[in-house]
Amino acid sequence: MLAAGDGTRAGHHTNKVLLPLAGRQVFTWSIRWARLLPGVAHTVLVVRDSDVEDVRVTLDREVGPPAIDVVVGGDTRHASEWAALRALEPLISAGEVEVVVIHDAARPLASSELFAQVIAAAAEHGGAIPVREQRGLVGIGGTTVPDESVVTVQTPQAFAAGPLLAAYRRASDDGFVGTDTASCMERYTEVAVRCVPGDARNIKITFPDDLFLAERLLAKADYDLSGGLEHRPHPLRDLLRHGPRPRGAR
Amino acid sequence: MSTEHADLACETCGRTTDHEVRYAGRLLEWTRCTVCGTHVEVTPRAMLPAYARDLEQRLASKPGRMWRRWRRDPLGYTRSLPAAIARQPVKLAREVWGLVRR
Repeated sequence: MLAAGDGTRAGHHTNKVLLPLAGRQVFTWSIRWARLLPGVAHTVLVVRDSDVEDVRVTLDREVGPPAIDVVVGGDTRHASEWAALRALEPLISAGEVEVVVIHDAARPLASSELFAQVIAAAAEHGGAIPVREQRGLVGIGGTTVPDESVVTVQTPQAFAAGPLLAAYRRASDDGFVGTDTASCMERYTEVAVRCVPGDARNIKITFPDDLFLAERLLAKADYDLSGGLEHRPHPLRDLLRHGPRPRGAR
Repeated sequence: MSTEHADLACETCGRTTDHEVRYAGRLLEWTRCTVCGTHVEVTPRAMLPAYARDLEQRLASKPGRMWRRWRRDPLGYTRSLPAAIARQPVKLAREVWGLVRR
């Protein structure tokens, strides 16, 4: 789980993934949905050095056991991914981790179902990324961009653990810095990276409006993106009316 | 009411800037770019029903949250409970007043 930011700006700045969002901090929402899956055994959270203490306090309050490994990331996304993989290296080498899922903590609405889809596809094919078709684009100068040729890529992205670790080791030796996980895999391995359908709700918190949208989407989903994995009884459900009354009801 | 600060992208400035983020209870009320002052807010008309629905969800999930906190630190949580209960009416009144006076 990448929560270190890009680190390209100077001066005082607060990490947006530490903002409250509908009662929890942004970064703990997707941790919650991912860890509901029975196969998700280890979680590594990559943060800035300055955020370590705040993050540990939040994890203690908002996330239950098993414990999450908190590691300090680097100046780039690639460096943060490498830091996470180094933390997982003993487990991968021991064969205890088959698939590694990399997720941007600024996407709090990645559902359990989406995590399950990329993990299943990566276990079968070696790599999987969620994508959304980007239709109706027009190039500079009015050239038409074929609808089927452009997609937007989301996270979580999942990859077979062994080849992923090997690719990042080679990238470290070469000094290669990839823009995302898939770019490093494509450069150093022959592993097929499959596309799975992304989720329109899986927005990345970038602009202030994204915070409002994420809050409304969570409320609309009744704060549950578990797809039924998390049963949360609602003691007031039978006492208070929700939404419009059914037709004919008095 | 609480206020946080975070770096978010500002469309007016065209770059990432520090933003003030204001909450009513646990709902976002408004954000403001501290560089150019660009303000994004939920209108009071939309905020009140959203706050009411959120309050219901907070109440519904409160027993579970209290139980989890008690399990983590039974003694410390039990000790802090009377003061926390005493603070709730004032906290709630402040939240509602903050929304109504907008």
